[in-house]
Amino acid sequence: MAKAEKSDEGIIVCREVNKWFGDFHVLRGISVTVQKGEVIVICGPSGSGKSTFIRTINRLEEHQKGDIIVDGIELSNDLRNIDAIRSEVGMVFQQFNLFPHLTVKDNVTLAPIWVRKQRKSEAEALAMQLLERVGIPEQAEKYPGQLSGGQQQRVAIARALAMQPKIMLFDEPTSALDPEMIKEVLDVMKELAETGMTMLVVTHEMGFAREVADRIIFFDYGQLVEENTPENFFNNPEHDRTKLFLSQILH
Amino acid sequence: MKRILIVAFAVLLMVPGLLSSAQGGDTLAAVQARGVLNCGVNGQLPGFSGLESDGSFTGFDVDYCHAVAAAVLGDGDAVEFFPLTAPQRFDVLASGEIDLLIRNTTYTVSRDTDLGNNFAPPTFYDGQGFMVRADSGIGSVADLDGASICVGTGTTTELNLADTFAARGINFEPVVFETTDETFAAYDAGRCDAVTTDLSGLASRRTTLGNPSDHNILSEAISKEPLGPVVRHGDDNWYDIVKWTVYATFFAEEAGITSGNVGSFDRSDPEVDRFLGEISTKFGLDAGAFAAAIGAVGNYGEIYDRNVGPLGIAREGGLNASFQNGGLLYAPPFR
Amino acid sequence: MAEKSKTSIPFWRDIRKLNVLIQIVFVILVIIAGFVLVNNMQTSLDQLGKTFGFEFFQDQSSFAIPPESLEFDRTDPYWYAIVVGLVNTVKVALIGIILATILGTFMGIARLSSNWLISKIAEIYVEIIRNIPLLVQLIFWYFAVFVNLPDARFSIEFFGVFLSNRGLFLPWAFPSETFSIWAIYLGVALIIAIIAYIYRRNQLKRAERPGFPGFTAMGVFMVLAAMTWFFTGPAPLNLEFPVFGRFNFDGGIVLSTEFSALLFGLVIYTGAFISELVRAGIQAVAKGQVEAAKALGLKGSKVLQLVVLPQALRVIVPPLTSQYLNLTKNSSLAVAIGYFDVTRVANTTINQTGHGLEVIIILMACYLTLSLLISMVMNAYNRRIKLVER
Ligand SMILES: Nc1ncnc2c1ncn2[C@@H]1O[C@H](COP(=O)(O)OP(=O)(O)OP(=O)(O)O)[C@@H](O)[C@H]1O
Ligand SMILES: N[C@@H](CCC(=O)N[C@@H](CS)C(=O)NCC(=O)O)C(=O)O
Ligand SMILES: [Mg+2]
Repeated sequence: MAKAEKSDEGIIVCREVNKWFGDFHVLRGISVTVQKGEVIVICGPSGSGKSTFIRTINRLEEHQKGDIIVDGIELSNDLRNIDAIRSEVGMVFQQFNLFPHLTVKDNVTLAPIWVRKQRKSEAEALAMQLLERVGIPEQAEKYPGQLSGGQQQRVAIARALAMQPKIMLFDEPTSALDPEMIKEVLDVMKELAETGMTMLVVTHEMGFAREVADRIIFFDYGQLVEENTPENFFNNPEHDRTKLFLSQILH
Repeated sequence: MKRILIVAFAVLLMVPGLLSSAQGGDTLAAVQARGVLNCGVNGQLPGFSGLESDGSFTGFDVDYCHAVAAAVLGDGDAVEFFPLTAPQRFDVLASGEIDLLIRNTTYTVSRDTDLGNNFAPPTFYDGQGFMVRADSGIGSVADLDGASICVGTGTTTELNLADTFAARGINFEPVVFETTDETFAAYDAGRCDAVTTDLSGLASRRTTLGNPSDHNILSEAISKEPLGPVVRHGDDNWYDIVKWTVYATFFAEEAGITSGNVGSFDRSDPEVDRFLGEISTKFGLDAGAFAAAIGAVGNYGEIYDRNVGPLGIAREGGLNASFQNGGLLYAPPFR
Repeated sequence: MAEKSKTSIPFWRDIRKLNVLIQIVFVILVIIAGFVLVNNMQTSLDQLGKTFGFEFFQDQSSFAIPPESLEFDRTDPYWYAIVVGLVNTVKVALIGIILATILGTFMGIARLSSNWLISKIAEIYVEIIRNIPLLVQLIFWYFAVFVNLPDARFSIEFFGVFLSNRGLFLPWAFPSETFSIWAIYLGVALIIAIIAYIYRRNQLKRAERPGFPGFTAMGVFMVLAAMTWFFTGPAPLNLEFPVFGRFNFDGGIVLSTEFSALLFGLVIYTGAFISELVRAGIQAVAKGQVEAAKALGLKGSKVLQLVVLPQALRVIVPPLTSQYLNLTKNSSLAVAIGYFDVTRVANTTINQTGHGLEVIIILMACYLTLSLLISMVMNAYNRRIKLVER
């Protein structure tokens, strides 16, 4: 683990990241630096490469060119580095991806026990604490199939937090939810942001972006088109493409 | 609704009658109505019942099917052959699928009683033997201690084998198959040190092996295997017809009647006259039915020489000679 | 009756009455069918002068059965022949189920391999084997392969094992006179191992660590078994090697050509079907499950063990049960290649006694019992791994 890069350079550093799916160039030279405690919202049209980008950060997708350095660890083909990064980066998916064969509590304690080698009681205490934090301690013994979508996504957040990550990645966490459940998940995320967690959030929830984000990144055709503060992004976008996108998305 | 139910009931009540009339009863009438005799044979035993390349069957057992067909239907070729394995044969006969079984089948008490069969007189007196590879150094049954022996299931052969080896206090490993072809294929491939069945069967099958002279048939016979036609219990007239058709081939040989001379044979002897003429009407057959049988396949000697002769099994001095020559073949009076 | 009142429905339009009526009619039809069958059977038996009864099972069988698992003598009764056949069936089915499961699992995973060659080989195996009737395959393996192995005299030898057209001859450890003493030591060792298991389990529980107390117990047992071996004095087990005799090998144990070919054929055939189940089962686990597990930092083998397999098993086990049943029932094709399974023994018994009906009833009872046992075990297992419904 080469801790060569200094952390004051940013907890996530991406330099000229390129990725291809076969002939298809999905990510075209993305460079971003994220500071510790920052909340970054990523938006952009469908197919622009948002998911692919945040998935490269914990190596669910492999990038072919450029550098990604997470908390000073360079993402390479070194399995040790990949494991190290994955245990520091939590991820929440659009489809929740809870383990249906485990109870809510077991979903949350699985990684702490098997990866962090925590004692069961320790892991369970932490799990209960987290479930309380996301507002569903009473569901601990149920199975994911018995919960509503909003509850499932909150379990997924608790599960990711159980590894005590330094960074949380969210890929459209509310897109699969009914409107009345979106708020309960966004509230949990807001509260998480207030605790100083570094977060990268792909979302179309512009209210959340305006209120919580430190910066907004706009993607189009695999390129980082605009990077701006929420205020400027909404009121004063630099690029025409951003304007067009905003006009479509804000009624 | 009611009418449908009544019809359904009526149909159902008729079913038992329909089903049970399918078997048993009057076999002669059934065969004559059908116009064809259904005859079960081995089909894998050249000389007794072998399948020719054109799909027809030939052999000693096959000729007895032709003889019965000629007597019953007036046409020796009106036969449909059913090649059967040893374990199938009695079930197929009992089910009524065939009218007659002539498949190198040994006459025994349990087959006569437990299995519900009737045996016509033996057409071939045989015994069980062993075939071994010539280079094996095995010269007698005693040499087979500890050997693997290929044998067909559902046969007297597998029982005799166990009996004989137990009686002599020697061991063997039985390797048992359903069909004659499988039994000999396994032996030929070297799975067994010896193969056992009726001596006639061994002589027949030796001709089908890669190099017949590489195999020896031990001279010892370990059992009595009287082989003959079989019918099922429950139809005495049909049993009589089959029985006396067999005797007819014996009698014709005793009297010198052949397929060649049957039409012009001198009928001055009263028994010959009865035999060639009206005596078959006692069975409900046409007059001259036995003459037709002889016309179709000839007398016993002709049948033997045509089929078994080429296998090199000598008749003279053996059990299969006519009583006139010291053998066991003897026809009761046709009167 | 429709005139009585406007509200009363005629019975042929009243669903409730119709349902009852249909059931009554059905019962009557079943009874009639049963009566017809029994009556027909009785007529047929009468015609052939046969009787129905199970007493003949006491009679001496008079035939020989090669020793596959139990010894059988010609003086033993028919019922014991059926027992021997049943044990032979269980032997080939049980070993077959275990081996087919292992082969199927490997092939199923191989088909999902990213290595082109491996997945192609697995695919070709499955496609060829699934599309040829089992009977044809068994006859091929037996008559074209196993029986054509070298003669016993020219056996293929490897590590004391001899392979020839007479079968596979293996060295085997047989108990000697001191075995009973060692057996007592083993009993004690077993008790100690169980105590070790409980101790280790509690220790892990107290420490709240995941782990495998079974391994600890096994290790303890093995060490004790090895130590007491030397205390016993003369070796309690004698290793016996196959030695060529007059026609064949003596000593050790033998897997007959017929058993080997049947086992081989059944395993290869059923393995192909199981591999498809395994593949489908793993594929049925959503891709997101693996991603979520990886994102949590779980390593590849743990992802498989903790996330993929438990979910795949839910999909695999129910159809796997029917593959196990198929294998067991397919073992009756043994008749084609000379293995003495229960069907073969039943056939021989029918042939020699003529009591087809009775023997078939017993035979059906045998297979039904085996099938129900397998189903029971698998259903119990299935219930354990079943997912809580949403
Ligand atoms: N595994 C893959 N193989 C090939 N192409 C892929 C793969 N995954 C994604 N793509 C393509 O890459 C492009 C970017 O996909 P991505 O999922 O990153 O888009 P997105 O910005 O997240 O879109 P959305 O808002 O619809 O989620 C799309 O055109 C998609 O079709
Ligand atoms: N004559 C004996 C044996 C007849 C027999 O079928 N023998 C050999 C052929 S010569 C055979 O067919 N063996 C294998 C089989 O068909 O089962 C009997 O009636 O049982
Ligand atoms: Mg996306």
